[in-house]
Amino acid sequence: MTLTENLFENLRLELRRGCLTLAVLAQLKQEHYGYTLRKALAARGMEMDESTLYPLLRRLEAQGLLTSEWREEDKRNKRFYKLSSEGEQIFARLLEEWNSINTAISNLL
Amino acid sequence: MELLDRYLHAVKRHLPWERQDDIIAELKANLESQLEDKESELGRPLTKEEAEEWLKQIGPPIQVAARYQRQQYLIGPAVFPTYWFVLRLVLAWATVIYAIAKALDIAAHGLGAGAIIAAVAYLPWVLLINAAIVTLVFAAIEQASMRYPEKCAPFAPMGPAWSPAGLPPIEVDSENKPRSFAKALAEVIFGCLFLAWLLLIPYHPFLWLGPGAWYLKASPYELAAVWWTFYWCLVGLNAFELTWKVVDFVRGTWQGRKHARHLALHTLSLIPLGVLLTAPNRELFLLKNPVTDAAALGAQVSSANRGLHTAIMIVVAIVVLQLVWGVGKMGVDAYRKRVAAAQ
Repeated sequence: MTLTENLFENLRLELRRGCLTLAVLAQLKQEHYGYTLRKALAARGMEMDESTLYPLLRRLEAQGLLTSEWREEDKRNKRFYKLSSEGEQIFARLLEEWNSINTAISNLL
Repeated sequence: MELLDRYLHAVKRHLPWERQDDIIAELKANLESQLEDKESELGRPLTKEEAEEWLKQIGPPIQVAARYQRQQYLIGPAVFPTYWFVLRLVLAWATVIYAIAKALDIAAHGLGAGAIIAAVAYLPWVLLINAAIVTLVFAAIEQASMRYPEKCAPFAPMGPAWSPAGLPPIEVDSENKPRSFAKALAEVIFGCLFLAWLLLIPYHPFLWLGPGAWYLKASPYELAAVWWTFYWCLVGLNAFELTWKVVDFVRGTWQGRKHARHLALHTLSLIPLGVLLTAPNRELFLLKNPVTDAAALGAQVSSANRGLHTAIMIVVAIVVLQLVWGVGKMGVDAYRKRVAAAQ
């Protein structure tokens, strides 16, 4: 990887980092377990590695933005996540911020 | 699938022990669902190579496990600026204190060049130990503030706790400020007066010692001959500096920076100090009548000579440190200029 490509990759990852949280919160207005969430995000154009998404879910839950429960589905125990009430509030504020940034960038371009 | 179980087992080894089982159960459910999807798409089980390729895409077990760690850094961005500032401060002071302590030790025990080399060689270890201690302290602060944010409120404002009113004033860069004509002229005049005063001392010792000159004359002590060599070195040094100043003044170049002259004089100042340091038998004071006074005053003179010799060694050590500092500073300035010119 050349220096420019490396720099671009770092900046791209930095740019995506915050967006991933927003995407996950948006998608978890409906309940999902890890794998179906990943598929749902990918279907909407937001591809995420397993090693990024699954730990992120844990962190968001630890921060109180998600709630989770173990439940059996298709003869397999799975952990289902959903936006908590605090998560809904934070998501609404983040979305507002996102829209404001988006508008600003659009104005700049 | 045996390979998946082995993979999960490898991940588990690197997970925090209290959450291992929970995380692995969740990861297993997710990966098994993914595997089922893949196999139903293909209409057959994955081959060994395909399974390996799939797990490689997920990532090395240690890295996958690392993502589940609460904290993946020792010192975070909020604490880092303070850590970096304290680290540099501690390293600078550790160097100074170590240098002074070693210089005193070497001077007090009359150790030679071997001890100096050993002291210099040990300095990196001193710095490393200090850096490790500072890093550990800040890592502990970071850990505490991450785990107990409510209880560690005092750590939070480390960076932002400042007031613009408390900012230090801008220092006047007196070294780089061009010298005025009046200052250059005053330096030449006072340089001449000082040299004249210095040259008059042998004829009128009271100019140097004040009333002490008469006391010395009446006392049973006298200065060793080495002080004459010291004196003439001092005269030579001042004459050299004055000549340089006069030449600058006559040529009209008094405004330029005088780093080179300052450094040269600093280096030359080691000569008179070296003269005293290498005095025969380390004798700087003598008895006028050793035959009659040696029994009563010999011990006092020896003690005074030893004390003065140690003091001179300390002064030499300080001058050498200042010289090293000056050279280092000149080097850094030159490097900065070069970098600025290159940009």
